[in-house]
Amino acid sequence: MTKMADNFSAVDIVEGCRLPVLRKNQEHEDEWPLAEILSVKEVSGRKLFYVHYIDFNKRLDEWVTVDRLDLKKLQFPKKEAKTPTKNGLPGSRPSSPEREVVRKSLDLNIPPATAPSRGKTLPTPKRKVEPPAPLAPQVSPATPVPSLPSSAEASQASVFPAVRETNTTFKAREEHEPISSLTTQQNGTARRLIPAPPGRKRKANCGGADEMIKVLQYNKPQSASVFLPPPPEDSQDSSDGIPTAPRMTGSLVSDRSHDDIITRMKNIECIELGRHRLKPWYFSPYPQELTTLPILYLCEFCLKYLKSLKCLQRHLTKCNLRHPPGNEIYRKGTISFFEIDGRKNKNYSQNLCLLAKCFLDHKTLYYDTDPFLFYVMTEYDSKGFHIVGYFSKEKESTEDYNVACILTLPPYQRRGYGKLLIEFSYELSKVEGKTGTPEKPLSDLGLLSYRSYWSQTILEILMDLKPDNGERPQITINEISEITSVKKEDVISTLQYLNLINYYKGQYILTLSEEIVDGHERAMQKRHLRIDPKCLHFTPKDWSKRGKW
Amino acid sequence: MSKLSFRARALDAAKPLPVYRNRDLPDLTDCVSINRAVPQMPTGMEKEEELEHHLQRAISAQQVFREKKENMVIPVPEAETNTTYYDRLYKGEFKVPKQLIHIQTLGLDLEQADYDMDSEDEMLLNRLNRKMELKPLQFETMVDRLEKASTHQLVSLSEAKLLLNEDDYLLKSVYDYWVRKRKNCLGPSLIPHIKQEKRDGSTNNDAYVAFRRRTEKMQTRKNRKNDEASYEKMLRLRREFSRTVTILEMIKRREKSKRELLHLTLEMVEKRYQMGDFSGEILREVSLPLVEKPVYSTPITLNSSNRHKMDFKMKKKQAALTDEPPYDQLRPKKKNFRQNRLIPPQRWHDSPPCPYTVDQADIKQYDFHSSGEDECSVASLSPPPSPDEENNPDGVFVFRRKAGCQYLSPCVEQTTADVSPQRPPLCLHYSLTRLSLPPHWVGLGRRRIGRGGRIILDRASCGLDLILKQLDSFTHPVCRSRARGATSLLSEPVTVDQNPPLMSDSTHPSLAKVVNNIQMLTMFCSRPRPAQDNRPEDCSTSVSTLEGSRVLGHPSLQHCSVQGGITEEQYHSHQQQLVQMQKQQDSCTALHRTQSTRVNESSSKTLDPASAQFAASAVISVPPNAHSGENKPYRSSVNGVHPLGPPRPVHSSLSRPVLSPRPSLSSSSSRQSLPNQRSQAGAISPHTARPSAPTTSSLKFATVAASLDQVPKVSTARDSSEPERLLNGLSETTLPMEVT
Repeated sequence: MTKMADNFSAVDIVEGCRLPVLRKNQEHEDEWPLAEILSVKEVSGRKLFYVHYIDFNKRLDEWVTVDRLDLKKLQFPKKEAKTPTKNGLPGSRPSSPEREVVRKSLDLNIPPATAPSRGKTLPTPKRKVEPPAPLAPQVSPATPVPSLPSSAEASQASVFPAVRETNTTFKAREEHEPISSLTTQQNGTARRLIPAPPGRKRKANCGGADEMIKVLQYNKPQSASVFLPPPPEDSQDSSDGIPTAPRMTGSLVSDRSHDDIITRMKNIECIELGRHRLKPWYFSPYPQELTTLPILYLCEFCLKYLKSLKCLQRHLTKCNLRHPPGNEIYRKGTISFFEIDGRKNKNYSQNLCLLAKCFLDHKTLYYDTDPFLFYVMTEYDSKGFHIVGYFSKEKESTEDYNVACILTLPPYQRRGYGKLLIEFSYELSKVEGKTGTPEKPLSDLGLLSYRSYWSQTILEILMDLKPDNGERPQITINEISEITSVKKEDVISTLQYLNLINYYKGQYILTLSEEIVDGHERAMQKRHLRIDPKCLHFTPKDWSKRGKW
Repeated sequence: MSKLSFRARALDAAKPLPVYRNRDLPDLTDCVSINRAVPQMPTGMEKEEELEHHLQRAISAQQVFREKKENMVIPVPEAETNTTYYDRLYKGEFKVPKQLIHIQTLGLDLEQADYDMDSEDEMLLNRLNRKMELKPLQFETMVDRLEKASTHQLVSLSEAKLLLNEDDYLLKSVYDYWVRKRKNCLGPSLIPHIKQEKRDGSTNNDAYVAFRRRTEKMQTRKNRKNDEASYEKMLRLRREFSRTVTILEMIKRREKSKRELLHLTLEMVEKRYQMGDFSGEILREVSLPLVEKPVYSTPITLNSSNRHKMDFKMKKKQAALTDEPPYDQLRPKKKNFRQNRLIPPQRWHDSPPCPYTVDQADIKQYDFHSSGEDECSVASLSPPPSPDEENNPDGVFVFRRKAGCQYLSPCVEQTTADVSPQRPPLCLHYSLTRLSLPPHWVGLGRRRIGRGGRIILDRASCGLDLILKQLDSFTHPVCRSRARGATSLLSEPVTVDQNPPLMSDSTHPSLAKVVNNIQMLTMFCSRPRPAQDNRPEDCSTSVSTLEGSRVLGHPSLQHCSVQGGITEEQYHSHQQQLVQMQKQQDSCTALHRTQSTRVNESSSKTLDPASAQFAASAVISVPPNAHSGENKPYRSSVNGVHPLGPPRPVHSSLSRPVLSPRPSLSSSSSRQSLPNQRSQAGAISPHTARPSAPTTSSLKFATVAASLDQVPKVSTARDSSEPERLLNGLSETTLPMEVT
C-alpha cells in the first residue's frame, strides 16, 4: 500500500504524505517518529511543512524544514492509507459508517480524518490560508463518492428531511456497525441526531442503554437515519431548519466533525501575556488578521488581544484592571479565585476563552459564553492579580458537570495549580451539595490531573478510616462520593484504577497495598497548595430561576 | 455502558466495602483472577488520544512507580517567562484590598476607545503635532468613532465631520490617514474583532467565527415552565401598571376639579363682596329657588357633615365681614350658598354624559372636604342638633361610597327623628314605606333587590305602626298636611314640584314618568343604587310630556304654599323658568341653535348636557327591572291627581318625614313630584340651551362630582340682576344632588 521510492524531493511532498520526521525527545535525543504533512508553505523561498507526529498529541505539531524530513520513507496518501491512530482503531472505537465511505471511496490523497472539509479540495499549499467557510457548503465527506453526490449535499445542506432522503441511499451500509453510531448519540439530547463524527470518539462516559433507546424512539420513523453517514456537522436542531450546529450545552466538542485542516493547525505562533510568552498548542479563533503576527500581545488583566507592543502600551493607559473583572470569592495567601459571569462580562469571558482555546484541543467556541461561569485563579503580586488558570462551569448542567473547561496556563503547569483548580471545583460542588464530574472528553493532561486528584482524595479518606469498635473500617462508594462531591462513577473508576477493589471471600473489599500507601503519603507531602474551605465565600445561585441563564 | 451497568450491579455503591491493608490479607492473591474479570471504567478521553504515546508512557510510569517521574511527564510546548520590559509596561503597583474584591458590573462599561494606536499612528501623530496638538487618546477616539460608524462602507468625509467635532484640518488629515490605513488593513476593521456569525448560516463552518448566539434556548422543561410563569407575571404587572395609570389620571382630574371649585368659591365671595352682600341677603334670594327643588330626596344619604363644613367655613368668613344673621334664618341661605359655591355651573355645562369611570379609590380621595373638622350642624331647619351631631352626625355610620354606584343626594335634614347619631348603615336603613298600588303603609321597611330583580321589602316594627295603620285609612290630604307639618320646618319648599309629572301622568302616563315615580319610590328606601342606563330612554320619552307637565304643573305649584324662606311667588317663577328652560333645552337638543334668552349672561352658568345627564342619572338609578315591576301600580295610583292634594298622595305617601330614621322624609307630599320633573329636566337638559360645547375640564368635574355623594353644590355667584334665573337653571341640575 505504500509507494516507496528512493528519491523524492520536497516538491513532491503534499498534504497527507507521511514520513518520519526528526524531533528531539524530552531527553534531547533524536527520534524519528512517523508524521503526517498537514500543510506546506513557502517562506522566503524556503519550504516549511506542518507536521503532525502520529501517536503524539497535536500540541507537538510544528512547522519543520525539509531537512528534518526523512524523504526516503515518504508515503503518499493512499485510499487505504490510514494511520491506525487517526482512523478506525479497531479496538478503541468502532469505525463509523462515514469512515467506511471514505475508506472505500477515497483513493485520493486525503487521510480520512480530515475528511469533512477537505474531501473536495485537492491539497494545495495555499489552501490552508483560505477560510473554510466559503467552501463548506459544497464540501461534504461524501462528495468524493461519485454515486452519492445528491444525498451528500442534502445531508449537508440541511437537516432532517434531508436526512430522511439520504436514508435510503445509505441503507446499504446499515449493517455497518450500527452500534457505533448509536453510542455516539449518548450525549446529545434525544431529539438531535448526532452522527458519528469521523475519526473521533464522542464523550464516552455517560449515557446508557436507555438513552440509546430514546434516540431510537425519536428517530423511529427513519431509524435508519441513525446509521447515516454523518454530515460534516452536527445535525442538531433539525426542527428549525438551520442547517447544522453543534449541541448547545457544554463547552467541549463532542465530535470532531468540525475538524478541518484549519482547526487542526495552530494558528498563533506566540502569545505574550504579562511576563510570559506562551506557545499555543492548538488553534484558536483570534481575529484572522492577527494570526500572521509573530507575537500576539494580550493585556494581562483584561486579556484583550493586541497586535503590537505599542498597542498594548496604549491599551494599558486605558485599562485599569488589575484583577479579573469579577467578584473575588476566595482568597488565601496569594491565591484568589474570581467568579465571572459569562453573560454579564462577555468581553472578558470571550477573551479568556480565546486564550484557553490555545491550550485546550476539545474546547469549542462555537457558541457564546452566556451559560457559563468562569472561575479564574490568580496569584497576587504587587502588580496585581495574575491569572494562573481557570475553569468554566455551566450555570445549569443537565449532566452533573461541575467543570466545563479547566486549564492551568503553561507557565504555571506542573506546580500543583491544576489540582488546586480541581479541588476548588469540588469545593464549590460541596457548597452546592451536589456531586460533579468534569465535562468529557478529558484531555491527556486532564485525565492525569483528575486521576491524581481523585486518587489522593479517596486515599485520604480511606487511610483516615478508623476501625470502629474493633470492626474493620468500611465505607460505601456513595459515602465517598458524598464526602468528596466526586461523582460515583469517578470514584469507582479511581478505585479500579488504583486497583483497590478486590473480590475476597464472596464480597468486594478495598485493599490498600503498601506501595499505594507509601506513594500516597509521599505525594501528599508534596502537595502544599490546598484549598481552605473557610476562605471560600460563595453562595450558589439557582440559575433555573433566572430565566435564561 | 453495559460495562458500567455490570459493574454497578456487581459493585453496589450503597454497600459498605471493608477496607483492608494488603498485609492483613496474605491470601488475597488467590482472588486476583476474579478481579481481572472486572472490566475497566472508561477514562473519559477520546480513544485515539488515550493511546497517544506520551500519555501511555506517563500512565504506565505511574502504574509502576505510583508517582510521576520527571521524565515521564507529557511534553508540552515550552513557555518562556521573563519579559524584560514587563515592569515598564505594567506601571505602578496594585495594593491588595483587605476585603475580597467585589466588582460593580455597571462601572465597567466606560466609554473608552477600543482602538489602540500603533507605531504607524504614532508617526502620524508626531507629524501632526508639529502643527497642532493631538493627543493619542484623542486620536484613538477619533479612529474608534470612525471605525464603529462604518460598516462595510467607510464613513464619508462629510459623515466624519458630523461624527467628529474636530478642527477641519485635523479632521481631514486623520480621516485621510484612516481611509488609507483601512484600505491596507488585512482585517475587516482596524479594531480587531472576533469574526461574527452571519445570519444566513454561511458562517456555520467558519472556524474563525466564534461565540455565536444561541438562537434557541436550552430546551428543558423547567425553563419552559419558567417562561410561562414569567409571562404571566409580566401580564399581571402590565395590568397593574395600567391600573395605576388610570388612578393617577383620575387623581389628576380630581385635583383639577378641586382647583376649579376653589376658584369659583373665591369668585363668588368676591362678587358678593362687590355687591355688598354682607348680610347674605342677595345670596339667599338668589339661592332660594335652588332650594325649592331639592325637595326631592335622594335615596342616598349624603355625608351631611361634609356638606356643611364648607358652609361653616363660609360662615366664618362671613362672620368676619358681616354680622351673622340669626341662625334659623340663615340656614336656608347658607345652604343655598353652599350649593352655589360647590357646583360651578359652567363646569356642569360642559360635562358630557360621561360614563362614570371613577373608581372607588378615586372617589374616596375626592372626599376632600370631608376631613375632621365637622363643626357644622346638621344643616337642617330642624331644631338645632346636639353638639354631638354637629360634630359627627352620622357617627360610625358615616356614609361611605361604594365603587360603581351613583349616589343621589340625601334627604337628610328635616328629620326631627334624626336624633340618634347612630344610624344603621345605608343598606340597613329603614324608611317609612308605603305601597302605592294598594295604598298601604307598610311601616318601616327597606327595599332590596332580590334575585331576578324582585323587590324585597324588609319590614321592621316600630312605634309608628299604629299611626300608619290609621294613615292608611286617612285620605291623602291628611297625609299631605302631615307632610306639611313636617316640612314646615324646612326652610324651603322642598318637595314642591313633584306635582307636574304626576299630573301629566294622568294625561300621558309616559314611561319616563313612570320611571321617575319608581325612582321616587326607590329613593325613599334610602338605598344606593347602581348606575343605570335609562338615561337615554328618559331623555327621549320624557321630552314630550314635559310640556304638558309644565302646563299642568303650574296650577299645582301655585297652590303649593311654601313655608320657609320662599314665597310662593318665587317658587312659581322658578317653576316657570324651569319649564321654559326645559323647553329651550329641548329645542336646543335638536339644533343647538339659539342661545337661550334666559340664560343670558353666561351660557356657562346654565346647564350643559353633561351636567344634565348627570343630574338625570343621579335621579334615575333604579335597576330597570325594578321600574318595570312597579310601573303599573304606580301609574294607576297617580291618576286623579289634583292641584294640591290629589297628585301627591302617591308620592307623598311613599315615605313620611315623621320619624323615619333616614331623612327621606324631607319630601313633603306635594313636592315629591318635583324630583320627577326635575329628573326629566335633567334628562333633557343634555340639550341645553347652550350652544357652546362642553369643555373637557368641566366634563371631568361633572364626572367626579357625580361620583361623589356629597356633591359639591357650588353655583357661581351671580353678580347680575338676573341671577335668579340662572340659578334656577342651575338648581335644576344641582338639585338632584341636593337634599333639603
